[in-house]
Amino acid sequence: MLALRDLAISAAGRAITTGTSLDIARGETIAIVGESGSGKSLTAKAIARLLPPGVSATGRVTYDGTDLLALPEREMQQIRGSRLSLMLQDPFTMLNPLMKSGLHIAEMLRDRPEFRDRAALKAEVARRLTEVGITDPDVAERMPFQLSGGMSQRISLAAALARDPELLIADEPSTALDVTTQAEIIKLLKRVQQSRGMSLVLITHNLRLAFSACDRIYVLYAGSLLEVGTARAVEADPFHPYTLGLLLSEPPADKRVPKLIAIRGKVPGADEVAGRCVFSDRCDWAKEICRVAAPALAELAPGRLTACIRRSEIAAEMQALRGSALAPSDPPQPPDRGIQPIVRTANLVKTFAGRHGRAVEALKGVSIEVRPGESVGLVGESGSGKTTLGRSLVGLETPTNGRIEIGGYDASDFSAMTAVDRAATRRTIQMVFQDPYSTLNPRHSVRRSLSEAIGTIGRFPGSEIDSRIAELLREVGLPEHYAERRPSSLSGGERQRVAIARALSVNPKILVCDEPVSALDVSVQAQILNLFKRLQSELGLSYLFITHDLAVVRQIAERIYVLYLGEIVEHGSAEEVIGRPQHPYTKRLIDSIPH
Amino acid sequence: MMRSGVARLILMRLAIAVPLLLIISFGVFSLVHLAPGDPVRSLLGTRPSDPETLANLRARYHLDDPFIVQYGKWLGQVLRGDLGRSINGNRLVLSSIKERASVTVYLCLVSTVIVLVAGISLGMLAAFRRGGRLDRFVVMFGVFGISSPAFVTGIFLLYVFGVVLGWFPTFGAGRGFLDRFWHLTLPSLALALSIMAIVVKITRASMIEVMDRDYVAFARARGMSGMRITLAYILRNALIPVVTAGGLIVIGFLANAIYVEVTFALPGLGSLIVDAVQKRDIPLIQGTTLVFALFVVIINLVVDVIYTMIDPRIRFGRVAS
Amino acid sequence: MSLHVDIARPKGVTPRTAIPAAIVIAFIIVAIVVICAFFGGSIAPDSPFTQRLQVGDVPPSAEFLAGTDLLGRDVLSRVIHGAWTALVGPVVVAAGAFAIATVLGLLSGYLGGAVDSAIMRWVDFMLALPGPLVAIVVVGVVGGGYWTAVTVLIILFTAPDTRIVRSAVLEQRPRPYIDAARALGVSKARILFIHILPNVLPIILAYVVLDFAFALVNLAGLSFLGLGVEPGTPDWGRMLFENRTILFTNPVALLLPAAMVILTAVSMNLIGDWLFARFTRQ
Repeated sequence: MLALRDLAISAAGRAITTGTSLDIARGETIAIVGESGSGKSLTAKAIARLLPPGVSATGRVTYDGTDLLALPEREMQQIRGSRLSLMLQDPFTMLNPLMKSGLHIAEMLRDRPEFRDRAALKAEVARRLTEVGITDPDVAERMPFQLSGGMSQRISLAAALARDPELLIADEPSTALDVTTQAEIIKLLKRVQQSRGMSLVLITHNLRLAFSACDRIYVLYAGSLLEVGTARAVEADPFHPYTLGLLLSEPPADKRVPKLIAIRGKVPGADEVAGRCVFSDRCDWAKEICRVAAPALAELAPGRLTACIRRSEIAAEMQALRGSALAPSDPPQPPDRGIQPIVRTANLVKTFAGRHGRAVEALKGVSIEVRPGESVGLVGESGSGKTTLGRSLVGLETPTNGRIEIGGYDASDFSAMTAVDRAATRRTIQMVFQDPYSTLNPRHSVRRSLSEAIGTIGRFPGSEIDSRIAELLREVGLPEHYAERRPSSLSGGERQRVAIARALSVNPKILVCDEPVSALDVSVQAQILNLFKRLQSELGLSYLFITHDLAVVRQIAERIYVLYLGEIVEHGSAEEVIGRPQHPYTKRLIDSIPH
Repeated sequence: MMRSGVARLILMRLAIAVPLLLIISFGVFSLVHLAPGDPVRSLLGTRPSDPETLANLRARYHLDDPFIVQYGKWLGQVLRGDLGRSINGNRLVLSSIKERASVTVYLCLVSTVIVLVAGISLGMLAAFRRGGRLDRFVVMFGVFGISSPAFVTGIFLLYVFGVVLGWFPTFGAGRGFLDRFWHLTLPSLALALSIMAIVVKITRASMIEVMDRDYVAFARARGMSGMRITLAYILRNALIPVVTAGGLIVIGFLANAIYVEVTFALPGLGSLIVDAVQKRDIPLIQGTTLVFALFVVIINLVVDVIYTMIDPRIRFGRVAS
Repeated sequence: MSLHVDIARPKGVTPRTAIPAAIVIAFIIVAIVVICAFFGGSIAPDSPFTQRLQVGDVPPSAEFLAGTDLLGRDVLSRVIHGAWTALVGPVVVAAGAFAIATVLGLLSGYLGGAVDSAIMRWVDFMLALPGPLVAIVVVGVVGGGYWTAVTVLIILFTAPDTRIVRSAVLEQRPRPYIDAARALGVSKARILFIHILPNVLPIILAYVVLDFAFALVNLAGLSFLGLGVEPGTPDWGRMLFENRTILFTNPVALLLPAAMVILTAVSMNLIGDWLFARFTRQ
């Protein structure tokens, strides 16, 4: 039904994707999987002829026999919405902030004769809302800013489907949402797709999601297709090292592995790797032959394509790597019960004064503890209070009630502590933040940021500071000369490493890590997680690892607390909580993991 | 629920406007004492300074009472509609104002129409043809407009169309409707050009920003017609910053109206106030400043209310970006 | 719920884009004005004060390239000397207003609470005042000429500038690098001046330039109404005030200073806009 042939996208003379070819039949679901910079979103936009100004596409996009790229705009406009539809990434910005949500659907049906009548139109809108799981017709009267992320996504879906298109392209339909909402939306998409007999193109960076939701997969990296096949086949035996690397980078939730196989290096832009296999710079199996020219996609089995020209040679090695990588490690030794915890909170309460006097109870009596050398996970979604808890531990928030003990000191109110105690507490516990792009002062060099941090624990001679900086950089896996660099010249993963180095410069005993890898590419995530594990064993660090991702927390933490709406609903060892969840919320979290 | 929300907001704005006007009136009142020298001297003007006249002045302006009492009495007078008498000519301030008001109002109305129609249209056009020649021209026009206060544009217009080409008169406001229109063409244009620049700049920038937004792209992805997208999606959202800047625009109008009236020797409120200031006619200054300030505060209030009505996010207590 | 990393963020040094031709011209014009302001005495063909009452106002000739005004003074020399008041006052206004505004904005934005409320209340009040009217009335009544006008403008400009600085500070404050500094125990003062200020300064600089242009226009306006500089001083706004009557005999005496006002203000506006665009692109 839809066929792409050699679709190449470029902007300002630089290539963003090289010739991509793709097929999708009626009623099929395919996934285009790729990390940032792969060109997947632009490919989606190119199909709908909605490329931003300055970006152009060449090639052929055939829809039911018509070449979409050659159509005049007026005809293309007829096709959009009624025959093929596109949903964008961010549910919060897809709707017109000044238009009621129902109107987004109604405006697409208004000109049909059967909906001239107001009442009929209203009833139809209500019907469409139920199709996407909204049973309360009053939602149609709400403005977009009054909707939650999940609701917005559903309304957008209803609007995209209003004219009953045969093909829907959904760009990262769940990425901006909570884990549990994500799962619901994907289920909704599948349901709608099946009941309408629609074709669905799912754009995502999440391989597992692609495997669980789609029939066939296209793997895109740095603008080139590297692998094509059915979901089952690719999952069972990936033909391309990148696909394998991606698979292994994503931490499994069902077991703890000793070390995640991370793909080294960072994700390049298409034009940086022109003229050779786009993955060769980061591939462990790359040989000269891979760098001579960009290998073409070859069909090694019916429907199974790969751009790895060494496939036949390395197939066995790849299987072996997979096997060893997924071998479970020994369960971690539970620490001695007798040792005093480094961090302990007792009935912590934090209430924020919200808008219009409506108080928000972020924490409703939370008690946790972390013992020396231990890694504890704090799992929760947005609104659970996890960030508030983390911030309270390092003094960025002051709890309304309850006690915090850090390293033996009462740290319930940082401003009430003596300067000496406070300084000592700050040398015990430090924090690593979520967004690597704003975690460093953009105007300070790495050296400056690290010197400042070192300076908080005392005055040292310049030479000592220099050597300490070099040591810290080495510790986090960065070359020494990075000290002179500014954050703008570092990638996300590198910035996060510097941030970790900064936290380590005061020799803390415990690090509070608030979603430290969520903002990173999957292949980089694994690198940083490995770093955390190494630091733990080398320095005897403890962690309070805050995240929404159960799979990530499985790899790092020995014990897990599950936080829901400001309360701990479950607590136990990682195996227990993930393997045998008791609380319904925990069960929902686990079910949300794509499988 | 919507009605009460809007009414509440109007009341809130009024609650701020009233103290504001009081403070302004206080400041205006204190001008008498701000002037260098004895207040009596300022109020004397050109009259002889014999003891009897001075004593009369002292009594009439309550100069021997404590400051606050003076203010109270003055305020009482003002609220009753008595704005005093000008020193030069001893005319009732209120009559001078009434006489001159029509010219200023006319000038401002015509300019406002030109500014809104031409300004917004140009801004829209430039945004649609982003990067093209028209766009670059409009941007340049905007920069020049903002940098050229009305007395500068006025002089250039005056020279080209009044002196060189002789199409329009160079001073005065004319008699009769058509004559007045002919006299006020150049001044209105001068005034409009300076203000239009701000409106064009904001409209263009706002439209460009909105056109890049996701909801516009999604509307296109759903096959909505160009007209619908332009009106309901782009314009509606893009015009909000223009309304928000309403206060800025009004202030600009105020200053430039004064300049224009002086440049073209128009007998309006602006030139009245400049005259009064040049002649140190305190009561006249006080009266005209108060009326002007009242105008500005009222117009700002109206703009605020309009803004509240067109952006539902405000009604519900959220701050729009 | 991951924030998806956008590869479009610059990796490596931000590319140096070429300076547009218009900006180059703008810089040249500003340079000319600065040179005239400081070296006017050496450049001008004549003294700006010499009156030739018998000659009166004459149109441009070989002897007086821009003609003379009503009192027989050389217009060109007066325009050249006028660059001084066109430069000094606006610089003082822009720099002064922003110096105060930076302190207020930093405190208001970072400390929040009562300090912020108090300062913003004052800002809101100042912004509700009809500024140009206040300037005209106060300068007129108090007298005192040029520097009174400068002072009044500084006071009037401080409020909107404070709002700008505060917005910029509020943008930086929630960022993790500030949180990290707080968690490390870095002092409030250090955070304000070493972390926040350097990140806010580029935007402030762009606005200072824009403020200069606005101050120039306002000062010239006040002089145009006879309220700014003392009579006799060579000043562009003042010349517009004095020479309106000779529009028919020597229009250059009006057009030249008017053009200078526009050109200088346009140049500074262009430079300010360009700086603003450069700093927000990063």
